Formats: sequence, C-alpha cells, structure tokens
Amino acid sequence: MRAISAVAVNVFKESVRDRVPYNLALFAVVLIGASYLLGQLTAGQDVKIIKDLGLAATTVFGLFIAIFIGIGLVSKEVERRSIYALLAKPISRPQFILGKYAGLVLTLAANVGVMTLALYAVLAYLTFAAPPQLREAWDAPGLDPRLLQALGLIFVQLMIITAIALFFSTFSSPMLAAALTFGLFVVGHFNADLKNFDRVMQSKPAIWLARGVYHVVPDFSAFDIKTEVVHGLPVGAAYLAATIGYGLAYIAGLLVLSVLIFSRRDFK
Amino acid sequence: MPPAIRIEDLTKDYWVGFWRKRPYRALERLSLEVQGGEIFGFLGPNGAGKTTTLKLLMQLIFPTSGRAEILGRPVGDVSARRRIGYLPENPYFYDYLTAEELLQYFARLFGFSGADARKRAATLLDRVGIGPERRRQQLRKYSKGMIQRVGIAQALLNDPEVIFLDEPMSGLDPLGRRDVRSLILELRDQGRTVFFSSHILADAEAMCSRVAVVAGGRLAAAGRLADILAFQVRGWELVIDNLQREVLIRIAPQLTRSTEISPGRYALDLPLDPSPERLLSELTATGAVLVSLNPLRDTLEDFFVRRVAEIGEGARAARQDGAHAGD
Amino acid sequence: MTADRRLAGGAALAVAAFAAAIGLQMARDAAYPRDESADRALMYVQSPAALGRIVLSFDALAADVYWIRALQHYGGDRLSQTKQRKYGQLYPLLDLTTALDPYFTIAYRFGAIFLSEAYPGGPGRPDQAITLLRKGIEAQPAKWQYYHDIAFVHYWQLQDTEGAARWFRMAAAQPGAPNWLEPVAASMLIRGGDRASARFLLQQILQSEEQWLREAATRGLRQLDALDAIDQLRVIVQRFPPPAGERYSWQWLNRRGVLRGIPTDDTGMPFELDPVSGDVTVSPRSELSPMPARSPAPK
Repeated sequence: MRAISAVAVNVFKESVRDRVPYNLALFAVVLIGASYLLGQLTAGQDVKIIKDLGLAATTVFGLFIAIFIGIGLVSKEVERRSIYALLAKPISRPQFILGKYAGLVLTLAANVGVMTLALYAVLAYLTFAAPPQLREAWDAPGLDPRLLQALGLIFVQLMIITAIALFFSTFSSPMLAAALTFGLFVVGHFNADLKNFDRVMQSKPAIWLARGVYHVVPDFSAFDIKTEVVHGLPVGAAYLAATIGYGLAYIAGLLVLSVLIFSRRDFK
Repeated sequence: MPPAIRIEDLTKDYWVGFWRKRPYRALERLSLEVQGGEIFGFLGPNGAGKTTTLKLLMQLIFPTSGRAEILGRPVGDVSARRRIGYLPENPYFYDYLTAEELLQYFARLFGFSGADARKRAATLLDRVGIGPERRRQQLRKYSKGMIQRVGIAQALLNDPEVIFLDEPMSGLDPLGRRDVRSLILELRDQGRTVFFSSHILADAEAMCSRVAVVAGGRLAAAGRLADILAFQVRGWELVIDNLQREVLIRIAPQLTRSTEISPGRYALDLPLDPSPERLLSELTATGAVLVSLNPLRDTLEDFFVRRVAEIGEGARAARQDGAHAGD
Repeated sequence: MTADRRLAGGAALAVAAFAAAIGLQMARDAAYPRDESADRALMYVQSPAALGRIVLSFDALAADVYWIRALQHYGGDRLSQTKQRKYGQLYPLLDLTTALDPYFTIAYRFGAIFLSEAYPGGPGRPDQAITLLRKGIEAQPAKWQYYHDIAFVHYWQLQDTEGAARWFRMAAAQPGAPNWLEPVAASMLIRGGDRASARFLLQQILQSEEQWLREAATRGLRQLDALDAIDQLRVIVQRFPPPAGERYSWQWLNRRGVLRGIPTDDTGMPFELDPVSGDVTVSPRSELSPMPARSPAPK
C-alpha cells in the first residue's frame, strides 16, 4: 500500500511539473471566461451556453490530459529505462501499475476540480448579475448542484479513458496507444447508435455484431447527461448508480488486464 | 550458509525476425556461484550477455529456462529486494526530480518514513559527493558523472547485503573511477557482496577476488583472475633508450617486433624464451639505457577473441572447466 | 506452475469484472431504455450555427454522423411497428447535416422526397422539403437537381402545376441541365399535368445515381400503373354489376368470366373492391399506399 501511494505521489509530482496539464487547465479556464463573453451576445441564453461549454470543455481537456499523460505513464518509463532502478526496489509490478493509475486519477481530480471551480465561479457571477425575472425563465438554476452529477459522470468517464490509455501503454508505443485510446473514445461516444442497429439493418449477423460491439466498447454515451442537467430534467439515482458501477467494473477489468500484461513483460 | 548469488543453467532466448520466429540466444546455460563478502567481477566484451544476466537477476526480463537465487531466495522475491541494491547501466532517473527527491522517493519504497527517508537520502548524497546546493537541482541538469553517482547512492539506500553494479565506471573521469573503486573496496570491507560487470580488465584486476568471463552468451571462464590469465604471458616488452641503429639491425632476428617511440628510444617485443636478461646486458653494454621491462599479457580482448573462436569450434572442454572452476 | 495459475486467476478476474460491467449496463438499459440519441425529447444542440462552431474543423465528419442519424431516425420510425411515427427529428437532423456540410447533396434530395411524403410514410411536410432545398440552392445556385426536386414536390405533393412548371423552367436554365426539363415544364402548363408527363418525369428520375431516388421513382411509376389498372377495373366493374341483392366482389366477376383471379397491383397486393359502392382502390395495406392525393388525370 505504501509502495502504491509513493508511486502515485510521484506521478502527481511529475504531472504538476510537466507543463502540459497546467497549460490545458489554464486554457480551459480562459475558455470558460470567454464563454461568459459569448453569453453576453445571446440575450438570456448565456447560462445555458456557459453550462454547455463548461461541461464540454471539462470533458475535452480532461480527455487530453488523460491521454497524454496516460500513455506516457508506462511507455515513457520503459523507453527511458527509469523503470530498471525502480523495479529493483521492493515493489511488485502490480503495485507499480496501480500506483501509476492512482497518481493519474489524482492528477485528473485536481484538474477537474480546478475547472469545476472556475465554472461555478462564472455561473455564480451570472446568477447574481441577472435580474430575478430572467432567473425565473431559466430551465435550471444558475448554480445548479445537479451540474455536479454531470461532472461526476464526466470524471468517471475520464477515469475509464485513463485506464484504457494505461492498458494500451503496457504493451504498445506511446503514439499507437494515444491513437487507440482516442479511437475508442470516439466510438464509445456513438455507442448508443450501435445498440439500435436492428432498426435499420436486416442482416442478423450484422445486428449481433453491432450489439456485441456495443457491449464491449466502453459506453461513453451513457455518461453524457449534459442535456438533462442543462435543461433541468431529472436523472434517476438508479441510472447514476448503475452507470458509475459500470464504469468502476470496467476500470477494474482493464486494470487487471494491464497488471497481467505488465507482469509478464520483458524490458529490453 | 547459502551463496550470496547462485545461478543455475540460466538461459535467455529473444525472438527476432519479422514474425518473431527466429530465436536469438542471448545467454546460454550460465551457471555461477558468488560467495558472501567477495567482490565478483563479471567480465566480457560488449554484447556478451552481461547486462542480460543482470536484468535476469533483477527480474526485469524472464528466463527461458534455468533459475537463479539471491541470498537463498528465488529471483523476483520482493522481500529479497529489501536487501539488495542495483545500479543499471547508463542509468536514467526522473529528470523532473531533484537528487534529494529521487532518493527520498526510493527510500519510501524501502519503508523509510518521511523524516528517516530525508536523513538517509542526505547521508548517501554526502557519501557520493553531491553537495547541498547541487542536490536540490533537478536531475535534468546533471552531468553523466553526477548521474552515475546518484545511481550509486540509490543503490546503497537500504544498506544492502548484495550490490549489483552494471558498468559502474562508465562515464566517470579518472578521479571518479578512483572514488568508485575505493567505495567498492569499502563495501567489501564492511562484509557486503559486490557483483559488478565491466568490459575493462583494469577495473577487475584492481579489485576482484574472483571473476567470470562471458563471451557470446556463454561462460568462457570462471575463477581467480590470476589463475585465468597466469598462463597467458606470451612475451616481454623491453623499452630501451639510446639504442643505435646498427645494434637494432643486429638484434632484429631475436625480436618479434620493434617500435620506434622517439629517436633512439624503442619498444622491443621479445618472445617468452629465451629469458631477456642476456639481451638486456648485451644492449646496456653498447650504451643503451633500460627504461622498462614488462611481461606481455593477453589483453582480455585477446583472451575473448581466442575463447570465442574456441567455443565456436565446439571446444566444450574449456567451458566445462570454466563452469566447474566457480564451484 | 504458480505463474500460470496466477495468469489464469487474473484472466478470470478480468472476465468477471467485464461481465459485471456488461450486466450493469444491460440492467440500466432495461430500466432506462435508450432510444437512438436523436430521439431524445430535446436535441442537445438545436442551432446549426452553434454546432458548426463546436465541431471546429470536423464539419464534414459531423455532417456524416448526423446524416446517418437522420437515416436511422427515418428508418426507425418507418419500420417500427409499435411506435407512433412522428418523424419529428427528421427535419432538424437534415437541417444540421446540411448546415455542417452545405454541399451534402444527398441530404437535400433525401429530404425532398421523404419530408414531403404523406403520413404514414413520412412526416408529410412538403414545406420543410422546399425550405431545405432552397438552402441547397443558396449554397449551390447552379445545381439543377435542387430546382428539379422543388418542382417535383410542387407537382407530386402540392398539386401545383404552375409552380412546378416555374421551377422546372428554372432547373432547365442551369448549366448541365438535361434537355427534357423544358418540355416537361411546357406540358405542365398546357395540360395541367397528366399521367404521361408524370411517367416521363419519373422515368427520368429512374436514371438517377441515387438508389433511393430510383426506388422512389419506381414506386411512383407503380402508383401510376395502379391508377391505370384501377381505371380499367372500374370500367369492368361498372359494366358487369352483380345481381340485385348481391354485393360487388371479385368472385362475382370471376364467375362471370370477365376476370381471372384477383387483380393485384405491382407489389402483389390485391386491389380492394368496395362491396357497396363498387369503387376500386389500392389496398391501404399495400406499399403503394398512400396514393397521391389527387391523381393526375388519365390521358
């Protein structure tokens, strides 16, 4: 346990000193600020737009952080051979992998936290600056706590992406791992369309194939509750629980596979 | 008392070629034992399998067959790693950390708590000569020699009983080499076992009690260095000054080679027999002056080349001798 | 070997984890059924302009995605047995698709046919079809196909032969337009449109590269054939009424010997003979149904 946390802290330190996440987080903050300006142009729609943009920006920038740091987690260490001295210490390979994952989740949490605060700051300003009648007309309150549900699901989604990036990086090069992870992200977002292939296709094997892919590929489209939250529609607690549970189980599966692959690898 | 390191029939194949079909045998049936408290040199030319062996011992790679034990525990046993230290070849550590942070990180992996970790790191950085300002700089700013020293420091963090060093002198200037040499001797005096690999004979000669020589993935010889090379004296080198040309021409048939170093000064290669005293007195009688007289030995490279050729021709005898010499 | 046993254990653990994930996924989908995302009560992005900004440089790709969704939505609604067919998202989806990629010809032309199609085959919104096509013309003013399609909507769905003629004229004026457009425009004006012109028009459309355009044209031609067949059948039915007290039926005509078997339309569905009035119509269960509201006059 101590070994895992030591590795995790090291990953966090590395990501903090690596300028990339700072730039991204900063950019996201600037974007959210800019969306405030955009909001000024759209008479009353600004709250919705800022929520939309804020959630989308958090997803996109979180995605890039997850991918760019995630792929380097293992590949960079192996390539640069800093892993030689590390694995000669009393730390097992599974502990190494789990520590790396924990560190990256920590990094993501910090970044998502920063972006959440920025988003709420802008929303707070808008809410207090808007006249009461306008506030009545909003679908959902400006400082809607339900946004945290959407952000929570986004965070779990990012955790899955990180696990995918880590998984690929245990056996392939950084570039390939990045491409594959990004590809899965895109496919996962259109997953819902795969489920309903039986509506438009006749061939049974094709329908079964589509359904199979729907279940195997991570179902990111289910994590996207932006529409509901922004328009103030309710999201069932059971839905949240099942989706989060799905995410955690999927992550567990990926981590086990990553550990298995990594434990048997030769480091040339 | 089990040997500090025991290697039995260790073999490693890599699969190369486009479809990974052809095996490349990096190490073939290596068997060795290293006793506690000795400095053991693991010698061989580049590509002989030294680093492969060390990586197998650290379980960075997995053997195709065979086994190895360190301090009586099978390789890969995580608890055994508490008692060993390892310095990889051309080490690279995290360049965004400072030397201090790196050692503290590793110390934590050994179970040192925060304050102890800091103390231990400081002690070792003192020991390898990295000053208080330097140690707070990020490793990306360090020279190769300094990284090597940090590497030694991290290998000694846990007061290990057995220390594995892969090419510990590489990248060091002569002063640094001397420091490392005295450090290794000090470790031996403290009762620790040092296993180090090198392709430089001089390093081994200065320190090792016993050595093993690998070439082409196989054990070429093992035992005391002197024993291995004792019978390899093949002649003499006589450096003489003030030698006149006519004398040189006259004695030429007795020489295997002569080299002019500067006007009047020559290095003469003489065969093993006859003993060179007679020639020497002859030359000094003509007014030449003796500069030095040394036995000509095979260099380790000569030895390797010959050994590899012998092994290649299927001379198994030498190999078996070598394998048993280490028991 | 413990190493192999660990591998097996690990693999089993991974399988268990993924199985749990899929199980949760299926349980959640059962409790919260997910129609294709386009069917959600609120489409996340309604504004084409905003969407265009958001997808940055991936406009064309996003257009493709929305196009696929439009097809799925249309197909889903059309093939569905249980759902009430609303096709509500068809226009927005096509609008978005063409906003993202203004040169996406298929989307405009698809919209032309299927937006204007009467319920239950489509939403029955020829006005939306025309709006969409006008957008297409704005993006590519020289594309004769768009004018042609607007003319067709006017003719086939709106029964506006004057409007149709006008648009056929405009189509004929575009570069590369086929030379049968002018005569068709003329025939619209002269005869107020008849089956022969309609047939001619549809046969031209039958040459199209787009498969579903060809299918739409084939369907139209079959409808025209059905109309012809109905005319002939009506004559026969009136000439040989059933004896007093009996109802009109095909069986009577069979017995009478003036008809063999039960007449069917080109899709194989029997025509319906109203037992009381003796009127012959295409069966509402036929694929050709609904027939054009006011059939072009026979000639």
